[in-house]
Amino acid sequence: MRDLLKECLSEESGFVELRYHHKESRSFFAERGRVESTALRKRTGVGVRVLESGTWGFASTSEISKASIQNAIQIAKKAARLSSALRKEKIPNLPKANFAIGDFIGKGIEDFRGRSVEEKLKMVLDIQNEAVKQSTKLQSVGCGYSEIYEEKAIVTTDGADSFFSLVRPEFRVSAVAKDDGKLESGSHSIGVTGGWDCLFRSQSATEISEEACKTAVDLLTSELPDGGLSTVILSPSIVGLLVHEAIGHTVEADFVLSGSVAQGKIGHRVGSDLVTLCDSGNSEFYEGAGGTIPVDDEGIIPTNTVIIKNGILTSYLHNRETAERFGVAPTGSARAWEYGDVPLIRMRNTFLLPGNSSLEEMIASTKDGYYLDGAKNGQADATGEFMFAVQKAYRIQNGKVTHLLKGVTVSGLAFDVLQNVDMVSKEFKWDLGSGHCGKGQPAKVDAGGPYVRTKVLLGGK
Amino acid sequence: MDRGAIEKRLNHQKDLLSNLVKKAKSNGMDQVEIYSSYGYSEDVSLEKNDLNNCTANEENMFGIRVIHEGNQGFIISNHIPSLYESIEEAYQLAKSQTTPDLDLILPEARPIDKQFDTYDMTLDSMGIEDLVSYAKEALGWRNEFYGKVNIDSGEFSLSKGYKLIVSSKGVMAHELGAELSASVMGMGVDGELVGSFDYDSASGFQKDQFQSLWKKAFFNFGDKCMGALYSKPISGFQGKVLLPPEAVYSFFLGLFIGSLNGTSLRKGKSKMEGKLGEKVASSLLSIWDDPTNIGFMGSTGFDREGMPTSFKKVLTEGVLESYFYNTYEAKKAGLITSNGSATGGAQSLPGCGPKQLQIAPGTSSKDEFFKQPGKTLFVNRISGTKDGASGDFSGVVKGGYLLEAGEKIPVREVQIVGNAFDALHQIEAISKEGELLGESSFVPYLLLDGFTVTGVSEN
Repeated sequence: MRDLLKECLSEESGFVELRYHHKESRSFFAERGRVESTALRKRTGVGVRVLESGTWGFASTSEISKASIQNAIQIAKKAARLSSALRKEKIPNLPKANFAIGDFIGKGIEDFRGRSVEEKLKMVLDIQNEAVKQSTKLQSVGCGYSEIYEEKAIVTTDGADSFFSLVRPEFRVSAVAKDDGKLESGSHSIGVTGGWDCLFRSQSATEISEEACKTAVDLLTSELPDGGLSTVILSPSIVGLLVHEAIGHTVEADFVLSGSVAQGKIGHRVGSDLVTLCDSGNSEFYEGAGGTIPVDDEGIIPTNTVIIKNGILTSYLHNRETAERFGVAPTGSARAWEYGDVPLIRMRNTFLLPGNSSLEEMIASTKDGYYLDGAKNGQADATGEFMFAVQKAYRIQNGKVTHLLKGVTVSGLAFDVLQNVDMVSKEFKWDLGSGHCGKGQPAKVDAGGPYVRTKVLLGGK
Repeated sequence: MDRGAIEKRLNHQKDLLSNLVKKAKSNGMDQVEIYSSYGYSEDVSLEKNDLNNCTANEENMFGIRVIHEGNQGFIISNHIPSLYESIEEAYQLAKSQTTPDLDLILPEARPIDKQFDTYDMTLDSMGIEDLVSYAKEALGWRNEFYGKVNIDSGEFSLSKGYKLIVSSKGVMAHELGAELSASVMGMGVDGELVGSFDYDSASGFQKDQFQSLWKKAFFNFGDKCMGALYSKPISGFQGKVLLPPEAVYSFFLGLFIGSLNGTSLRKGKSKMEGKLGEKVASSLLSIWDDPTNIGFMGSTGFDREGMPTSFKKVLTEGVLESYFYNTYEAKKAGLITSNGSATGGAQSLPGCGPKQLQIAPGTSSKDEFFKQPGKTLFVNRISGTKDGASGDFSGVVKGGYLLEAGEKIPVREVQIVGNAFDALHQIEAISKEGELLGESSFVPYLLLDGFTVTGVSEN
């Protein structure tokens, strides 16, 4: 494929970027004693981006032939020329970068190819059938396995020339429990970049299922917490949501240029000394993080970007265009979801560095607060105000975890929450590898870190 | 790409898909369905108060369902030369399963009474040059009227295409369409002060209609961003919330409508199970689904399974009148056919749900809602979470106001918590004015009482 793309570029003089993308998604879902759905999604095409007259032009084609790709190049050039008269801030050129050259084959691909459809179907069915036996209060348990296999080739006229492939499996269980007319749900999911063994390395499929079902049943007897500003200990999945939603989005350089709260804050204190925050294309600490990419969608080798070091903001996340504007090197953060999508600045694996405390010490030293666990969804604002939703809130009183409360929405101002971090644990875990981040188009990301104590606004009664 | 070229492609594809289905039948596959979605689009995007990118995309997606002895395989592909191989792959997926349900069948063809063709010729000769001129106009509005509003992103899109469904049960239906749409997202910035994100959008299937709707949407966006710029924290209280149409539709109503989905009902995950004919909401609330209104965007004569759509009463003065079924769920519920409520497109299996919800206007004037005694929280938008089974929702209020003693105070760091099913009974008044959201659903303002509002301020 690299050869075909290079052949298409052989007569081009300006900047042209060709991105071949083949994606296969398989999903299997069982509920109520039967396989409810099996689906295979295949999508292939080439995205063409040109920089001409200081402006971008983009076109895509699902036909993989030299004629079709060259036609798309001409359409993209015409689009760029049409818009050039209107664009004020012309892009003079793109900075040199650490281009990926060669083939980058991800781990786990043979493992995923070696397992049959029947094996995957049996797993979701067996887990589902076992799960409903856990409690008579369980109305329904859904069990799903899915995997995304992708291969991409990225070639540019200024030096990128790579092919890479990877596989991302996910496993999820969602349960609904009923009692006395009350319905509650619980869910648990995992997602990695790698093979089957990597997926179930820290928790088996059965353990995941048991956790989801227990949450649904336990929540039947829970109540809302008291609303207000509260001391909270966040589990790694919640820390992941916090650093992704509260900080990560505000330091994406396109948001920064639009006026996000992080604008002009490089070199400023934005968190306590205990806070060191990174975003990496690699899987730091242990393999399998769900947002791992060997090459970004501009053909650049991704870095481990230190965003905050000991509380001081040190870097934004960049693509080539914003790196040029800020006079820094690209961080390898340009990502596109489908071949027909233009690459945007996106996070990859976002994490807080571990500290020196233990979870036990953190709970024991909390007189009045909550332990929050079970990540749901989250969003962030340009103001730095974020929200994320948790499944479960455990009350902490006088250094002991007492009872379970219904999880609600947690919010705060990003930098205030980081300033209030006063304890960080030694443990570390990636825990946000299932699901997607949305920013006009989806992206697979991961996030995590240690247990963290801080203050947030808890919605409640 | 013009109408003639699209029609030529459609006619060619009807033949192609019919032949593929015939071939599959002759090879022992009794139940095969192909849903084709073709689109050609040109887009111009804005970023950081400037033009960002011009793009052109064309794609044809195919959703292929094969049902074999109560088991189903589903393949999605955009590769026309290998479509028959995809049919065989779907067949193999179906055959690999061991949990058949003989109620799972493709529907027999039924006549489609209303033929829709929303391809207006005013869009036929339009192209990317027109989109660039719309972008220029919008940037001009921003510079002239909203100097403190930063456009983070925006998009102008012209899309043309068709949907087509062909099945081995004789289903054959298609519709052509063309649409102009635009959206904008951004926030007010004044020195170091940054306001909350807001957005607005407009779409239309005629050029003049679109231009007028888009101008209104852009100015609405600018006003909302400026309104949120000087917000401040407030203390919590128990009391009233005022939901504008967008918030009613996107957050509050979604949970209730989701509970009327045939699949949720069958699986015991819906609080509306067994409630047909019962009063489940305030008598003030009436809702219906009308995908057959030719004047609305997105109206259609057939659903995801090629079954005819129809007008349906959902809620009449608080009494529940119907659920939403596709063919499978209708059969599981003991009905002979679906009620034309199969949702989705080429990239998904048929779900269940409404297409064009309408909420009956009330009798109150919306201006009166802004003059309530005591405190009322105006909830422009909720950034939050909701649980379909329990109906619980909670979230941060964005671009909201505290309405108190005739004042309209922009607020931040405020959360609300509630339950959608309880909230159906908490409706105190519905406005006679409303908005046609997405040019397809009429939604009024709702005033509700008895909410918990959490704030961070002590006073």
